[in-house]
Amino acid sequence: MTKRSLYNFLWVILVLATPCLSEEYKFELEEIEKKPYHVGGYLELRPTLFGLDRDAALYKLRFYDRDEGKTTEQVTSIAQLDGSLEKGIARLFARANFELDYTYLGWSSQGSLFEGYLSLKPDRSWDLRLGKQTMKWGKGYAWNPVAFVDRLKNPDEPDLNLEGFFMASVDFVRSFDGTLKTLSFTPVLLPAYGDMNDDFGETGKLNVAAKLYLLYYDTDIDFMFLSEGSRSARYGFDFSRNLLTNLEVHGEFAWITDSRRTVIDQTGRTSQTESDVASFLLGLRYLSVQETTYIFEYYHNGQGFTQDEVEKFFSFINRGYEAYVSTRTDTILKRAQNLSESGYGRPNVMKDYLYLRISQKEPFDILYFTPAITWIFNIDDQSFSLAPELVYTGITNLELRLKGVVLAGESFTEYGEKQNDYRIELRARYYF
Amino acid sequence: MIRFIFFVMVALLAAAPAYAVDGKQILEQVDKNLAPESYELYRKLINIEPDGKKKEFVLFTVKKGSDKIAGLFISPASEKGRSTLRLGENMWLYIPNVGKPIRITSLQSVIGGVFNNSDILQLDYSVEYDVTQVEDQGKEHLLHLKAKTKTVAYDQLKMWVDKEKVQPTKIECLTEASMLIKTIYFKDIQDFGGGIVRPATVETDSPLYKGYKSIMLFANFKKREVADEVFTLTFMPNIDSLR
Repeated sequence: MTKRSLYNFLWVILVLATPCLSEEYKFELEEIEKKPYHVGGYLELRPTLFGLDRDAALYKLRFYDRDEGKTTEQVTSIAQLDGSLEKGIARLFARANFELDYTYLGWSSQGSLFEGYLSLKPDRSWDLRLGKQTMKWGKGYAWNPVAFVDRLKNPDEPDLNLEGFFMASVDFVRSFDGTLKTLSFTPVLLPAYGDMNDDFGETGKLNVAAKLYLLYYDTDIDFMFLSEGSRSARYGFDFSRNLLTNLEVHGEFAWITDSRRTVIDQTGRTSQTESDVASFLLGLRYLSVQETTYIFEYYHNGQGFTQDEVEKFFSFINRGYEAYVSTRTDTILKRAQNLSESGYGRPNVMKDYLYLRISQKEPFDILYFTPAITWIFNIDDQSFSLAPELVYTGITNLELRLKGVVLAGESFTEYGEKQNDYRIELRARYYF
Repeated sequence: MIRFIFFVMVALLAAAPAYAVDGKQILEQVDKNLAPESYELYRKLINIEPDGKKKEFVLFTVKKGSDKIAGLFISPASEKGRSTLRLGENMWLYIPNVGKPIRITSLQSVIGGVFNNSDILQLDYSVEYDVTQVEDQGKEHLLHLKAKTKTVAYDQLKMWVDKEKVQPTKIECLTEASMLIKTIYFKDIQDFGGGIVRPATVETDSPLYKGYKSIMLFANFKKREVADEVFTLTFMPNIDSLR
């Protein structure tokens, strides 16, 4: 090959290679084309191993009539589908959740409509919604005492979608120049009649709620209320502000009138207490130079039980278990189960908690890899849960998470009396 | 002699502000050439790993005035519906699952990789930076920029500007201690129509992520005025309705 023909050959190779290089970074118009409809969601598979605490009160309450050994397994599969249809100022949106579980009790399934509403936007300032929806009021990460018209979220999984309630709501928003940059007002009507919203509270009531949002002096501020109806009247506010580029502070305060609790005494008798209570939360989010994110929150649950009240409940279960062992009658345990469902079994039932989540973005230059650890500490009885996790999102639309949860505490404490000592789960979630 | 020294001092004093004014004017012209004050555009962000593995994100962005910008991820499916909002120094992230906007910081990364929030929600350079020095480097100016406030993601920038086109060719992002965080390369000048002529490809690498590279491609860049109410927390779940 002559020098000239070699140059020609190299030139041809170069010319042929050039379109390939630009091919690599193409941005096609069909990638940004908008369709009037959307269908998406995720499929999830989550096998879990539970390490049982056979001495714990809540273990006895659940497993008193069976022996599952030291561990039990569960496989959960979830299909969460969401779809929308848009035409002019109208948009229909629906999100449904289907869950299929395999536990020590065998197979079980459940399906529910999480959200399903019609939204009308006559202009950018107005949004009218009618149907099942979530409001997600509050600035707290793990808890939201001011979420007056939402279901309780689980602090162990605060990012999960929640099922909504049937409501009619309006969002009105205005922007301004100056220290008050944004004002928005959201009135809500939540009817609880017959089967509709029958799990919100007392039925036969029309509940009225509203939220006023202000972005004032670079601070998010909300004021909200829920009028007396299915639940007692309650009033609250929250705020959130960036103090530095890497430090955010937030808080919530809720005043709940006539808060009712069913408590149990040593003899097993129940009584109702009613009083006005305050619940509040203070928190911060901090990002370090090493890209470690810290979320720290203190939560006071005004509706929570005292340590003495919770101890009496656990004693009642132990009494019921002893009665079952000696006489094979489970009357007391059945009553304890009812009490558990009516309040004692809620997550974080006591009064004062700390929450700390530390997550490290992409350590050791491993892209899309985030290890994290979450600690929930019950200040009243010194028990806690500690949950390390590893998340990898490097494969497009696939999220893999390995999570462990250790529950620790003395006898008669919240986490010490949970049915599990630990839990290990692998969650694979595919988005489409 | 005294007259001569006096003359030189006056000339120097007069020259100093002239430099500053020139630098400011260049930076403002760079901003004008990169984007109109109010616009909409689509961007594709590609994170490339050392082994060539890629992950792509498509983002719709709408901006108004000097301090309002909002972005919406439209792909991949795992990020779809995720939106970001910036109002001056305030930034929020809305994740459909979480269902409410949360405040975020400018240094945080929304999607992983070399890009962070302030790269995605970039305001005009002249809004966030002062020009402290201008160097003549033949065909290019080298502008030394200093952040106006502590809330800006990068404390210092070194910006190389093509003198003829008044477009940046390269930007080095530095910490207060002059540590290099990332280098941004502007390539492939394209006419998007409506008088918008600017680089259509922006590449980023970082000594903090050796061997990794991020590419940002631009499409459908056009002037657009939307209502101020679009740039509010309440509107964040609805940004898709602007498309």
